[in-house]
Amino acid sequence: MNAAASPPPRHHVIIGNGVAGNQAAELLRDRDPASRVTILTHSRLLFYNRYLLPGIFQDMANWPELLAHPPEHYAARRIHVRRECRVSAVDPRNRLVKLAHNETIPYDTLLVATGGRGHLPEELAEYRPLFHHFGSYEAAMATRRALPERGAVVMLGGDMIGLDLARTLLAIECRVILVTHETTFWPHALTPEERTNALATLVAMGIEVIDGDARGGVAAVEPGAPGLPARRVVFHNGADLYGDVVMPCFGLTPMVEFMVGTGIDIERGVLVSPQLRTSDPHIFAAGDVCQIWSEEEHAYRFYYGYRNVRAMGEVAAINMTGGQEAFATNRVESLGHDAQGRIDSSFWVYDE
Amino acid sequence: MTFHSDDPRDIGWVRENIPCQNACPAGTDIPAYIRAIAGGNHGQAYEINREANVLPGVLGRICSRPCESACRHGWAGNGDPVGICHLKRAAADLKDTRHRITERLYAPTGKRIAVVGAGPAGVAAAHDLSLLGHDVTILEREEKPGGMLRYGIPEFRLPRDMLEIELRNALRLGVQLRAGVTVGTTQGAIRVSTLLADHDAVLLATGCMAPVQLPLRGVPEGTDLSRHCQDVEYGLPFLMDLHRGQHKRVGRRVAVVGAGFTALDCARVARRLGGREVTIHLRTSEEYIPVTSEELFETKREGIRIKGLRTPVALRTDGDGRLTGVAFVQNRLGGWRENGRRLATPIEGSEFFEPCDTLIIAIGQRTVNDFLDMRVELDRAGNVRVAENGMTSVHGLFAAGDYVRGASTAIEAIGHARGIADRIDAWLMGRQRRRMVRIEAVAAPPRLPAHDFIPRCHMPTLPLAERQLLTGEVERGYTPELAAEEAKRCYLCDLRYQIDVDRCIYCRACIEVAPRNCIKLTRDVEIRADGSLGALRETREWRRVAAIWIDNNECIRCGACFKVCPVACISITRNHFVTVDG
Repeated sequence: MNAAASPPPRHHVIIGNGVAGNQAAELLRDRDPASRVTILTHSRLLFYNRYLLPGIFQDMANWPELLAHPPEHYAARRIHVRRECRVSAVDPRNRLVKLAHNETIPYDTLLVATGGRGHLPEELAEYRPLFHHFGSYEAAMATRRALPERGAVVMLGGDMIGLDLARTLLAIECRVILVTHETTFWPHALTPEERTNALATLVAMGIEVIDGDARGGVAAVEPGAPGLPARRVVFHNGADLYGDVVMPCFGLTPMVEFMVGTGIDIERGVLVSPQLRTSDPHIFAAGDVCQIWSEEEHAYRFYYGYRNVRAMGEVAAINMTGGQEAFATNRVESLGHDAQGRIDSSFWVYDE
Repeated sequence: MTFHSDDPRDIGWVRENIPCQNACPAGTDIPAYIRAIAGGNHGQAYEINREANVLPGVLGRICSRPCESACRHGWAGNGDPVGICHLKRAAADLKDTRHRITERLYAPTGKRIAVVGAGPAGVAAAHDLSLLGHDVTILEREEKPGGMLRYGIPEFRLPRDMLEIELRNALRLGVQLRAGVTVGTTQGAIRVSTLLADHDAVLLATGCMAPVQLPLRGVPEGTDLSRHCQDVEYGLPFLMDLHRGQHKRVGRRVAVVGAGFTALDCARVARRLGGREVTIHLRTSEEYIPVTSEELFETKREGIRIKGLRTPVALRTDGDGRLTGVAFVQNRLGGWRENGRRLATPIEGSEFFEPCDTLIIAIGQRTVNDFLDMRVELDRAGNVRVAENGMTSVHGLFAAGDYVRGASTAIEAIGHARGIADRIDAWLMGRQRRRMVRIEAVAAPPRLPAHDFIPRCHMPTLPLAERQLLTGEVERGYTPELAAEEAKRCYLCDLRYQIDVDRCIYCRACIEVAPRNCIKLTRDVEIRADGSLGALRETREWRRVAAIWIDNNECIRCGACFKVCPVACISITRNHFVTVDG
């Protein structure tokens, strides 16, 4: 009598190497021990803690300090991390992920956890090469190299990611010049009164706040002239200002380009149910890349912050292995003050 | 070696292996004109375009570009599609100023044909009918020809000097233009029945000019909202009034409802008219709207916001009847429509409010038939029903373009009208033309592998600070250098690589150098009912291999196989459709 053939192990593929993706990978390994778990990332590094990135402007010089786990951890957990892989497309019909180098990877369940990249408003897109960024270790290092000691940083917009860095920059005695925009304090949505108070707090912290609207908005970013800082920001009213680096801090744009044309529902992000299911039963999405249906608000909305994103990774893993859990959050998305009178945000909360 | 073939295998090959040309409603020979541009022959490229589409300089600016959506270079893993439309424009812009257009004239037939409507369909049909030897009169209600092109598209997208030149070139060979003439049933108008009595055939190409009404709560069905509230406009009439010379005004906050080029044009015009906060509201999402990504990018770049998943359900006005905002409901993405567009499903209890001072409704256009003084059969959508030869239920009365098919694009209207012109000629003269495949030997691969790594050349655009006026063209056009570089990217899908199985020594050298899975061991190939070749049946067992076959669907025409073959058993031919008499 032949023993019944056991089914082949399921292959859970995760696109994205951030908090949601790694949280899901860990839980998938626990819930489905026989399965294959693969993380695809275009990064050169293993999962690292982006909340620690401001530290590289102070005393953190080596990238291994940022890593959440050593490489051996993934080997022991049988989580296969494929670095420097750029996903070019997803083929839901054949359950394939296509990589830019023409390799295809089959999956049984797929988790899209690509997060977001720094949003650059279309009117500033042509100045992209002149901006400095902070979205990855490599980008943060490039910005650090471009910034002289006690240099001047111009932050356009001033989202909470940028303001987190601003605290560090002030601590190392850099000038921080914030040009306000409707995305200042993103992802917090403030009332006009709250915004005025929060801007006053920034000024009290030592940030130079410039009213972007009053100057008609940013018209151009140019290289600085000889003898002046490396960048010049020109406003529509003709005014200008200089900085050693200029950073766009306009919030995040979900990284969904490779999903366009797949038939998966997308608005700005991947649209998912509270169970984090996309419109394809084998594909899930978690983290900053997805818009989750809210029964209370009758709308799809984003949920940001470490705790929310980690919870999404967990929910996705549970449901990828047969669960029916719904994502729920009771995190208060508030902007407040700490004991020193500096602004503080739930967005910045990170649990070791 | 050059010859013509009507072998269904050759016809099927051309039909399936040149995706851009197959997607073009006018059937433009795209690889041929791109090859001409790569060689610096812009005039020749213009002529190749003009054989299929009499307005290349116009379409090179405003085409919806179905060819680029189909371009093999844009398939997964191949990069971005070739800038086919930008190259079309380059052919028009960069040709020699002394360039002479070529027209192939048939002898005069003495037949008289009236064309009603001087939009893209009417002009294309009138042009072709005049080349075929007929005396054509085109009647246009507006003061100038061009239809939607002149009155519906802003000048910052389509400069009127280019439109003027191409329209005049299209109509100057024997077409009599009577502009400012109304065809209809009103006093002083010319009746269709009169035209039929005076001509051998009449072609209706009046387009889709009536706005689709937006159903709103508290507003009786069929109500013209622009009369209901002075701050509400319909998109196409808004643009047409503007281009007729009327002074248009918008409020500080402008809401545009709609998802097509007209909606985007209205928003960009509103911005230039002083709208500070201009927002386009979509029922679905950006991914599913039928506009080009570049147009969408330029729209956003001009500061226009786009918000998705919402359906307007009611207007809000103040005590003076002035608009204060629009109530929307949230949508979910639903299934798919027959035309491939997404459906949106409103969500009960999700109503929300967006303040605005002006609302522009641009959700589509429909045909009107009230100008007809005779009974003509209509389909369920209210469009006129035509037989296969384009004739309506009335003998001698034909119809073409959007008037038959409903609102579409300029290139679809032109492509359809050219087909109908051909059929009118066949009906009048009994002349038949048919498509054959012209096959020409090509000595060596014209592409270099390095061409695969050229990124898409972006269209230079007008700086934002200079976009204050309604007239400054935003897209500035390729330089000759950019055009030549972009042209190199084309895979030249009209090139057919074939292995002569009688000479092949099965050394596998071609397979070894193939950059992808484009050379296949096959045991058989499907032969379809129409005689064309279908799917390859592959095998991995040598004893079953009947042939090594180049899968031209996978082939990127790099020529690596051709160069490595030790027995020169791989041939290259250029295959393209030609129309021949008889």
